[in-house]
Amino acid sequence: MSYRKPLPQIEPANQTFWDGLAQGEFRVPRCTNCGHYNWVPFPACRSCLSEDQEWTAVSGEATVWSFSVVHRGPGAFDDDVPYAVVLAKLAEEPRGCIVIGNTVGIDPADLYIGMPLRIVYEAIEGEDVTVFRFAAADAAQPDDADAALSVENQPATVA
Amino acid sequence: MPRPKQAAIAGVYTTKQGKLPDRTSFSLQLEAIKGACDDAGIPVEEVDGIIPLSMSDHLPGTTATQFWAAQLGERPLGLMETGGASGALAKAALAIENGMCEVVVLFYGKAGSRVGPRGTAATDRAPRVPDWSFYQSGAYMTTWYALWAQRYMHEFGVTHADLAEVAVFTRHHATLNPDSIMGRKGEITVQDVLDSRPICEPLNLLDCSLDNDGGYAIVMTSAERARSARTKPVWVLGGAESTYTDFYTTINDPWFPEEGKAVRRAADRAFEISGIGRDEIDVAGLYDCFTITTIRDLEEMGFCKLGEGAEYVKEGHCRLGGSMPTNTDGGLLSNSHAGDPAGMHTIEVVRQLRGECGERQVPGARIGVSLQQGWAVHGMAGVLVMAAD
Repeated sequence: MSYRKPLPQIEPANQTFWDGLAQGEFRVPRCTNCGHYNWVPFPACRSCLSEDQEWTAVSGEATVWSFSVVHRGPGAFDDDVPYAVVLAKLAEEPRGCIVIGNTVGIDPADLYIGMPLRIVYEAIEGEDVTVFRFAAADAAQPDDADAALSVENQPATVA
Repeated sequence: MPRPKQAAIAGVYTTKQGKLPDRTSFSLQLEAIKGACDDAGIPVEEVDGIIPLSMSDHLPGTTATQFWAAQLGERPLGLMETGGASGALAKAALAIENGMCEVVVLFYGKAGSRVGPRGTAATDRAPRVPDWSFYQSGAYMTTWYALWAQRYMHEFGVTHADLAEVAVFTRHHATLNPDSIMGRKGEITVQDVLDSRPICEPLNLLDCSLDNDGGYAIVMTSAERARSARTKPVWVLGGAESTYTDFYTTINDPWFPEEGKAVRRAADRAFEISGIGRDEIDVAGLYDCFTITTIRDLEEMGFCKLGEGAEYVKEGHCRLGGSMPTNTDGGLLSNSHAGDPAGMHTIEVVRQLRGECGERQVPGARIGVSLQQGWAVHGMAGVLVMAAD
């Protein structure tokens, strides 16, 4: 069955971000004036109001800031319960961005605040979108994580 | 010293709350407007300011204020306010005091749709949503409050059982409110909360507010008109509002600063403007969409210190008979949550200050406060301080 969960409309101003995911990069607007990262992307820096920001690929390293295991899912997500929603704090400073997302290859029972994560990417079949997920930092390398995307314990994919 | 009283809440009304399959959102709103005006003894034709908390689906492009201005007879209105209830009411009082308008009605009504996850049907193809929408992650408002709760519990060593105490005292109050939805189901214990089914961990079903239909309205008018109204006026001593972040996307670190965020700012301003100290409050209505929300409300309102909200609840301050009786109607957890219940706490405080609350009456209640919040965890806040005549 096709992917039935919500996907982004993709505003033209954010095209670079979504293009980045397709290329295996997580890009965050970084202020060229004060150096702060801005998430979610804003038209101007949230610290110094400069409009001079540059989409900057980050390392993909992150830690769990908070998490919730969801047992009642909206729409197509209800087929996947229980699944995890995490807020992951990106490693880059100043001002570590706190990003919401799903996990891949992590038993929700193993999640804890401070758990090291890394961003992995999944091209959605039949759609023009690549999305990101959070995997355990010490999980197998990307090829294996990609393989894990098709296994049944992967909560964010409808097989 | 409290400042002079120039605007008052003269009428309040709540429709039946619950599952109302035979009603429409519009008819609940209209019933609420008429009901609150009748409570005040003011003809609907004299309303000249509106605060519609619901959207309008009348015609694309027609705002709710335009729709209601036309529906109410194409009489030119003097106030079209938006934002959350307590903050909007604070501004309405200033508008009345300064002659922009004389009779303002705040109202809301919703029937037939659901706010929680069961309100979202699965589709055959992937629906498209805005770029940073939490819906892409299978998150919804409950998830965000759960993420907030999880982080709070981590930072302050608070347990789920501590949060559950909020649901317990709130249900107790609901059992004393014959109009509440959950009161007839009786008292609950901490263990009941912990044993209820998980929704978004750490929040279980009984940590969550209800998801029902219903409507309500509040009429505010000038001191002069309030004195001749049908019911005893409840004076607006002051209020304020605040917002700090966008709609459930992200919140930067730190999440729990000592100096507080939007709720703290609104509360500090409201108490300062009204000349009322926190220790003078007899009854409080604090927005309680989830158990964690009440804990954080108490801290940000300055009723207890940061990290001590759960302890404050356990000590019994929020119960009837305690030092800060809170959500005496059963709150959003056990009375009603009809989608945007931002004005419900103000209505209960008004009823307390009028002495109409029967078994749940706070004896001699003279001064009350309501807090509305939302649009992100503690994202937009309004605080209104009121006094009995």
